[in-house]
Amino acid sequence: MESVINDYISREIVQDPAVLPLSNETSLLEGGILDSLSLLRLVVFLEERFKITVGEADLLPENFDTVNAICSYLRAREPREQGAARA
Amino acid sequence: MRLLRSVEGVAYWAVMAPVLACLPAVLGYQLACWRGDWEFRSRRVKRTALTCNLRQLLGDEIDQDDALRLARQWFRFASCEAIDVMRLRFRGRALRRLVEIRGREHLDAALAARKGAIICSAHFGSYDSAFSLLGASGLSVTTIGRWQHNYTASLSSAERRFWDLVYARRLRRHRHRPNIEPWPGRIGVAAQAAAVLRANEVVTIAIDAPPLEADWARTVKVPFLSSKARFLPGAVSLSRLTGTPVLMAFMYRSADYRHQVLEISEPVQMPPGEGEAAAFARCAAEVSAAIRRDPAHWAYWASGADLSVLGLDSPECDGAEDADKDTIFTDLGIHA
Repeated sequence: MESVINDYISREIVQDPAVLPLSNETSLLEGGILDSLSLLRLVVFLEERFKITVGEADLLPENFDTVNAICSYLRAREPREQGAARA
Repeated sequence: MRLLRSVEGVAYWAVMAPVLACLPAVLGYQLACWRGDWEFRSRRVKRTALTCNLRQLLGDEIDQDDALRLARQWFRFASCEAIDVMRLRFRGRALRRLVEIRGREHLDAALAARKGAIICSAHFGSYDSAFSLLGASGLSVTTIGRWQHNYTASLSSAERRFWDLVYARRLRRHRHRPNIEPWPGRIGVAAQAAAVLRANEVVTIAIDAPPLEADWARTVKVPFLSSKARFLPGAVSLSRLTGTPVLMAFMYRSADYRHQVLEISEPVQMPPGEGEAAAFARCAAEVSAAIRRDPAHWAYWASGADLSVLGLDSPECDGAEDADKDTIFTDLGIHA
């Protein structure tokens, strides 16, 4: 999961090649890698790739600040998604 | 003198405009025009900046007499806009019966595709009332834009509350959700707007806002009036990411000052593979065309600071900065 997300951000979102290769702990927000529109692009990618829906309430800096944070957020979603699917 | 003008402005918005909005429209808007004429005569610095910027940016299209006529009209429109806001009381029927909406079928067709609709306008005429009017006429409307009085450093908290009460509150009540306010550090703005569009609702935005310094790197420079201007192409980016059509909308005031026509365009063509700047340039060209068609509607003629940020300022119009200090309304983004 980490490598998929890291690859996508490195390929589609990063505009300054100087920040590459991207560490999974690099702050995407403080580094100016992620802005409002690129976050939307990332959310669209995550929703398509992992078959989830990211709600407005989940659009918090702590969920999207690093690749690791994004993966933690997605993993935390998994039980909820599975529960919803069973229901 | 400046204090007197501010007091007059506050009194106009707090007392006069609500009273005028309750009178028959023919009388209310006539009185608003007389107030606009008084402003035109008494605000020499602002009038000079207006005429100078009009001539600089419209080039040979107008002479000095035209510029003065347009400046007078600008002040009249500004006074009338306060009446428009006040006529949005209750369900907005008092304003709705004075506004003809043309092209509503384009909006309905866009919404039938169930991807929402992005309505792009400009700081042009009663644009804020137009957005709320669409809400009052049955659409779920959310606006991307800042309530500037909340961020203007020179305003006290009492002044902020005042502008919220007399201005923002009346517009807000016809909008489905609170404004989505773009501000550095608010990373969820575009995703919030996308959520609104996913619910098949309407997002409105004035695309000619001067970009904040933090956003300059994301701006595109496109042909605008007789020059080039720097804008944020966010509306086009949002459209691309969500597959939502962009429609242009402008509200024109008629010669009697009380009737208006809100014209909604067909969706702007955005061929796949076309660059974002090229697609946005087409939207900016629509704004340019609307301003050329009826220049007095554009709010920024009197604001040298805003024109400067847009990259449209002219050294010949050095009175413009003083005009900015002439009133707090320019700071608020209100057309007066």
